[in-house]
Amino acid sequence: MSTYGVNSVGRRVVHDPAFRELLRADPEAALDELELTDEERAALMAGDVTTLYRLGAHEYLLVSIALHGALGLDPKLFSERIRAAGPRRARPA
Amino acid sequence: MGGVLVPHTPYFTVKLAAEPESADARCFAAVRGQLEELRPDVIVAFDCDHLNTFFLDNLPTFAVAAVNRFGGPNDHSPGLERRVVPSHRGLGEAIHERGVDAGFDLALVQSLEVDHSIMVPLHFLTPDHEVPLVPVFVNGLVPPLPTAGRAHALGRAVGQIVRAYPEDLRVAVMATGSINLEVGGPRVSEGELWGAPDPAWMDHVVERLRAGEVTRLVEEATAEKLASVGNVAGELLCLLAMLGAIGDARPDFLEPQPYFGHAYGTWLLGEGG
Repeated sequence: MSTYGVNSVGRRVVHDPAFRELLRADPEAALDELELTDEERAALMAGDVTTLYRLGAHEYLLVSIALHGALGLDPKLFSERIRAAGPRRARPA
Repeated sequence: MGGVLVPHTPYFTVKLAAEPESADARCFAAVRGQLEELRPDVIVAFDCDHLNTFFLDNLPTFAVAAVNRFGGPNDHSPGLERRVVPSHRGLGEAIHERGVDAGFDLALVQSLEVDHSIMVPLHFLTPDHEVPLVPVFVNGLVPPLPTAGRAHALGRAVGQIVRAYPEDLRVAVMATGSINLEVGGPRVSEGELWGAPDPAWMDHVVERLRAGEVTRLVEEATAEKLASVGNVAGELLCLLAMLGAIGDARPDFLEPQPYFGHAYGTWLLGEGG
């Protein structure tokens, strides 16, 4: 799996309280700490989990972002957007 | 040596406290009662970590903890305070050493915190957290998963190692997880963060378990099949490992909860270990 930077957002929002607070208060600054492509960064800022999932981010880590109310996501919005993604292949190409 | 199967739904700690007469609360109580009859000295738990103990910087396919104790949950599970759980370092070391000797390349873990996938079952089954537990981790959530045959064979090897261990231990082998479940992926139900997309697979698995047809289930649980069911369907690998450890017996108790896509079961607990 690639997209380590995106996945680490979902990791740190659970395990790193300082990062969690920064992500809620100033997401641009929080994301500056990470190695992200322009596409990944734009999708994160937009809470666009449809695109992040298609790019290969792990859904368990994406859902943590919504559960912690960051990047404009809440559970209902997350549900709507992830349903729009459609299932991914079992193994990334 | 007996086996148990329970789910680890995070919010059940809160939900079932408010609904003591619910089917899931009854099932947990039934499994707990049978587990207490065995009076296990140790629980060996086949568990799929949810990227909380491990992460993508270093993700083992199989791992075993050889520790005196561990803590958890480390993932903000509702209704759960952090607890320290005793483990059995000697048995963990034996599973690591003899497991590698037997061709199962288990990663060694000498310090860890676990997530809700272990702490929710313990909350319901051993609420005093007094029974030592040895976690054996199987990657069931980040493709590529180990094959069902490999997970089942790992369980068989762990069962042999436990039986050959010099100390005479009464051991319960726990599998925790769901059978038909999607969490946070495209197949969640509308407005929800989870769904149970493939009830027919759930029915089929339960039928195979009741008939003791574990070998056939192992053959059917291909990577493609599990991926098609839901993104949590790989937790079946923990169940197959548990069945390998206890010798593919038929369950004494098995109750599916189709709405949630999981099941509760016990195997051979009444045999006195």
